[in-house]
Amino acid sequence: MRIILLGFGVVGQSFLQLLTLRYNELASIYGLRPRIVAIVDRKGAAVDERGLDMKKMLKVKKEMGSVSKADDKGFLNLSAEEVIKKTEAEIVIEVTPTDIKSGEPGLTHIETSIKNGKHIITTNKGPLALALPALMDLAEYNGVYLRFSGTVGGGMPILDLGRKCLIADRIISIRGILNGTTNYILTEMSEKNIEFDEALRKAQELGYAEKDPSLDIDGFDTASKLVIMANWIMGKKVTLKDVKINGIRNITLKDLMDADKNGKTIKLIGSIDKELEVKPKEISKKDVLCVHGTFNAVTFVSEFAGEETIIGKGAGGMETASAILRDLIDIKTNLSARMMA
Amino acid sequence: MKLVMKFGGSSVANGDCMKRVAKIVSDSVNQGNRLVVVVSAQEGVTDQLLEASEEAKKGNLNYTREFIEKIKERHLNTVKDAIKNQSLKKEIESIVKSIVEEIEKVLTGIAYLGELTPKSLDYVLSFGERLSTPILCYSLLDIGLNSKFLSGKDAGIVTDSNYGEARPLMGLTKYQVKQKLEPLLDKGIIPVVTGYIASTQEGFITTLGRGGSDYSATIIGSSLNADEICIWTDVDGLMTADPKIVPSARTMPEISFQEAIEMALFGAKGLHPRALEPAMEEGIPVRIRNTFNPQNPGTLIDNKQKIKAGEIVKAVNLIKNVSLVNISGAGMVGAPGTAAKVFDVLGKNNVNVLMISQSASEANISFIIKKTCLGKAMSALEIALLGQGIVREITADEDVCIVAIVGAGMRGTPGVAARVFNAVAKKGVNVIMISQGSSELNISFAVKEKDGENAVKAIHEEFGLSK
Repeated sequence: MRIILLGFGVVGQSFLQLLTLRYNELASIYGLRPRIVAIVDRKGAAVDERGLDMKKMLKVKKEMGSVSKADDKGFLNLSAEEVIKKTEAEIVIEVTPTDIKSGEPGLTHIETSIKNGKHIITTNKGPLALALPALMDLAEYNGVYLRFSGTVGGGMPILDLGRKCLIADRIISIRGILNGTTNYILTEMSEKNIEFDEALRKAQELGYAEKDPSLDIDGFDTASKLVIMANWIMGKKVTLKDVKINGIRNITLKDLMDADKNGKTIKLIGSIDKELEVKPKEISKKDVLCVHGTFNAVTFVSEFAGEETIIGKGAGGMETASAILRDLIDIKTNLSARMMA
Repeated sequence: MKLVMKFGGSSVANGDCMKRVAKIVSDSVNQGNRLVVVVSAQEGVTDQLLEASEEAKKGNLNYTREFIEKIKERHLNTVKDAIKNQSLKKEIESIVKSIVEEIEKVLTGIAYLGELTPKSLDYVLSFGERLSTPILCYSLLDIGLNSKFLSGKDAGIVTDSNYGEARPLMGLTKYQVKQKLEPLLDKGIIPVVTGYIASTQEGFITTLGRGGSDYSATIIGSSLNADEICIWTDVDGLMTADPKIVPSARTMPEISFQEAIEMALFGAKGLHPRALEPAMEEGIPVRIRNTFNPQNPGTLIDNKQKIKAGEIVKAVNLIKNVSLVNISGAGMVGAPGTAAKVFDVLGKNNVNVLMISQSASEANISFIIKKTCLGKAMSALEIALLGQGIVREITADEDVCIVAIVGAGMRGTPGVAARVFNAVAKKGVNVIMISQGSSELNISFAVKEKDGENAVKAIHEEFGLSK
């Protein structure tokens, strides 16, 4: 299976590491022979239609900063769009950084891939939050698969749990803690008795929060995940505009202490019910959702099976890479069935 | 004798070439022959038209404009060099100009619509022959030969509407071609017909695809029951081997249709099997000759299989730029349908298979495909077959080539294979894969790419093909 990898940051590199670690197992158990025919990063691309040497690409990236510096395979300034159009491949994996305002460059990458008949796996929430119903429609029309397990809950199979494992049941509502950064900040404030600013600074020092933390703390990341779940699991045709969003910027230590008196605490809860909402809410410390630190938790309320909650680490390079690999195997299995039919 | 002469693109590439062709035609007429001439587009023009239509489809009007100038200049230059008579020159110049105007209109239309259907592409591609044919006709007029140019449609060739690779409706075509061309021949006029192009019964232009102008020539030859069809090209004929590999290779004076088809399938520079069909059916001999060396009698292809004593192998070819794919797995043993699945997947992905081999143990299937298809083929096979418990491994060897041996004398002659592989073994060449069709007209085998030329030389020598 020939793969084009767009974006070679933490997730992209982790994915390649995962492939090299699991190469033999992937072939023997899943019949998957991944061949990375192109990698595109900010400065250019490396292309080899027979498959790039993955270990070498990781080394080049680490030592020289860009795969475009690879001796014979590297091309300075070669753009992702050109690579998508001109390189023969079955799958495009899009792992460029999220831009929640324009969705770019991911949105263009995804659209171009679909229109060129290439299946796409992405971990980029921006394009999906802004245009998921349109992209799903476009993918279906062009007969390609669009998969994005890694966008919600990192390595946790949240999307599959909702859509595949609860098949035949009807999911009435979903609520959860979907952002590790904000959960870490709120946990720190409450446990260490510190104010928001100090907790944020600490999160930034540890690399949990970005320099510009707005995406996380203003609730956009959680809102994006709600949009994705609503579309994928519940079939609601919604985008980011349909979500009421409130972040945790204005939560004070006093708010948390007041909640504590009643055996409660404040968490940034995303919920899908009649409407989609992101809001800091008081919840009981005994609530199964009440997880701490960078953990995530999601509860599905279904008509017959009742409530199920899944808890786990919601982010991280290897975790997200494992979600990409899941999608890859899923697409391989579908394609295989399609070809043998 | 009644002859059909077809001149290829390199034979009419410029004004001097046109004059050379006119001389060949006039010599033949002087010998008392009655002729129909079939003409290809000037060398390279069809490819340029293809490129221009792709650019037009993208809306590139600048490219169209430049292309029009280029093609006009080339054909007017040919006219200038080929034709002396001033009034004839004026006439043909205005014909060329009006055709070029038509090209411009069609390409502009495509550019505005941004659409290139197989039907419109055939229309565009027809212009190469539509330009070269009248120029050759006027070159004949210029030296005093009575001639008239016709399109394939005017000549009566009718096809189905499978644009890009149309099939002639042979019964109707034969009837019409006879009706249109015989009266001209009776009047002593030389019909000069566009190769490659024909039309549907509604009159829309079609092209004959693979085999192209050669196909036109054999269609016309068989319609008129010609005595011989001459394919004039830029080589002396079909050779025992590529002279670049075996300097002592020689032109074969005679070869049967079956052998010619085998050779063509193995990529020898010659006729497409499709083009040989009409001539073979009617038993009309086809002769391949060199425009630039008309003294050489060339290679005669006919129905008579005269196997001379001791003549076992006729020719040996080398096919490069191929890759070997091997599919293996113990689960394949005794699993019916495995081969069907493999080739079904390849077919669905438009991958053509050149050579196949499976051992009786059934534990692996090997086949050879073009190198350009390898990535696509491997990926599709891996997706479809791996992980189902039957196929365990799919591997590729890019470093191979095929040696193909052709000769009707191999049929029923024991020990040919032994001689072939002995000769190859003596040169220290290892054979990777072998295949022989039950027609026994050919043996082909795969070797490492670096060994290919040595293997060809060894076989050429073993069977004394230089003599």
